Amino acid sequence: MWDSIQSVFQPTTSPPQLYRNLAVALIGSFVLLALLHRFLGPRGRRWLIAFVTFVGGLYLGLEYFLPVRTAVLWPTAIPNPNPDRGANLLTPGIEPVGIMMSVIGAFTVGLGIYSLCQVHGRSLGQRRPGWHNSLAFFLAMVAMLVFGFWAHYLPKVDEASAVMPVPRAIYEMLFSGLFMPLQAATFSLLAFYIASAAYRAFRIRTAEAGLMMAAAFIVMIGQVPVGAWVTSGLPTTGALAFFRLEALGEWIMTWLNAPAQRGIVFGVAIGGLAMSLRIWLSLERGTFFSEQG
Amino acid sequence: MGGLEHANWFMSALFGSMCLIIVISVLVAQRGREMFIRRIPGLTAIKEAVGRATEMGRPIFFSPGLRGIEIATLQALAILSYVVRLAAERATRIIVGICEPELYPVAEESVREAYEAAGRPEAFRSDDVRFISNEQFAYALGSVGLMAREQVATNFFFGMFFAESLILAENGQALGALQVAGCPDPVQIPFFIATCDYVVIGDEYYAASAYLTREPTLTGSLVGQDIAKALLVALLILGVGLATYFGAVGNEEYNFLRQLLATGATGS
Repeated sequence: MWDSIQSVFQPTTSPPQLYRNLAVALIGSFVLLALLHRFLGPRGRRWLIAFVTFVGGLYLGLEYFLPVRTAVLWPTAIPNPNPDRGANLLTPGIEPVGIMMSVIGAFTVGLGIYSLCQVHGRSLGQRRPGWHNSLAFFLAMVAMLVFGFWAHYLPKVDEASAVMPVPRAIYEMLFSGLFMPLQAATFSLLAFYIASAAYRAFRIRTAEAGLMMAAAFIVMIGQVPVGAWVTSGLPTTGALAFFRLEALGEWIMTWLNAPAQRGIVFGVAIGGLAMSLRIWLSLERGTFFSEQG
Repeated sequence: MGGLEHANWFMSALFGSMCLIIVISVLVAQRGREMFIRRIPGLTAIKEAVGRATEMGRPIFFSPGLRGIEIATLQALAILSYVVRLAAERATRIIVGICEPELYPVAEESVREAYEAAGRPEAFRSDDVRFISNEQFAYALGSVGLMAREQVATNFFFGMFFAESLILAENGQALGALQVAGCPDPVQIPFFIATCDYVVIGDEYYAASAYLTREPTLTGSLVGQDIAKALLVALLILGVGLATYFGAVGNEEYNFLRQLLATGATGS
């Protein structure tokens, strides 16, 4: 029985069956959503969200906590991606569940595109200030869509011997020649932003800022050759070796910075656990969660 | 060291104890017991930041980070709901920039409901919750452009941020906006501290909904979270003590601490 349930989540290789499954899934989803919208009020919707959240959390939680045995209980319908890894009854479902979540996430890309078209369409239609940016958006989106699909569906050729087809060349120019360099240029701007932020952070106004400046100075200078040169007169062994700038910088990073960072991480992890628990048990308040009784 | 694929008995016991502590604290708080929460400046500043935008008659920009639906983002949405309610009561416009498409409908619904809760559903404008881009730097530049064009008075950055945090916050600083930020990732905190007026650090981030609403359930959860943290600190001290002892007596073969934390592949 478990095998037959698992087989439902397996990819379909035969095209007619694939299209039939796609049509059934799409129509079924739309009908289900329409029915839920029609018949579920805000309270019912919250109950449904609470139920789905609880079941989802329970599944993933149990999969993590249930005892495991090596390569047992694996249904024959599903290839085991990692036979050496321990598994329990629920482990085979992890990958299909992950894929289901990705599919649901992929549907929302359409909503994102809709939002962009709505905002920029209004801006363009009403000739709001900056409407030319909206025009650039539509031109860029259409160009990437057209040449992207065109290049993708061109018949495959041996690229080493053939001249690159025009649609693919245009797509390459748009993506590798324009989009990627723009990304890299934006990333490189960070160097300047770090410099200006560091300047502001290191202005010594308080004792804490002074302490931070001193620590930063030691760490920074300890990592460049000039730092080693400044204190090269000190011995490399014994108690005085600790005061060599490179050793002092390393000590600050290992003994002061790392524990502080780990302390923050511990706090964040427990905070995340408490938040997860509130959401799982529907104790959280606000949108999508019930109001305080 | 990679994370555990499955829990061993020690992890199950530790995790179960912490969950139990949090649930008991929630139940105690629900019975009406007063619980103290210390002042968190970054969260107290939210009202001031919204008030500033109201006084200046300029909008607020809110970024819920780069990630989709996950715990950190859900916390960001809870803060967003609170900020929108405050802004709606004061007739101040708020613009939300979305990076992950899956977050867009959820954020839009949160904002719409917050306007309704504030009694001003007519003030909601669908254009003000907008998907910008799911590419990291395109999102950063789109948000910065939005801040500059709209001349925002206040910026809120709550959620998961990465390298773009400095681009967002440094440009907001250059525009003269009052900025409040919170991020669970300790790597980004220094960048926000250098560029923002108020920063919510570490687990303060997950204390936000309890701190802002003071609802007993959430306050209890926050207190339980602190007790669980104390338990973890006690275990750390015990672990350091035992590791030091076994190191000192030279009995490293009998390292049961390593066994306790070893991968759960063998199960309990």
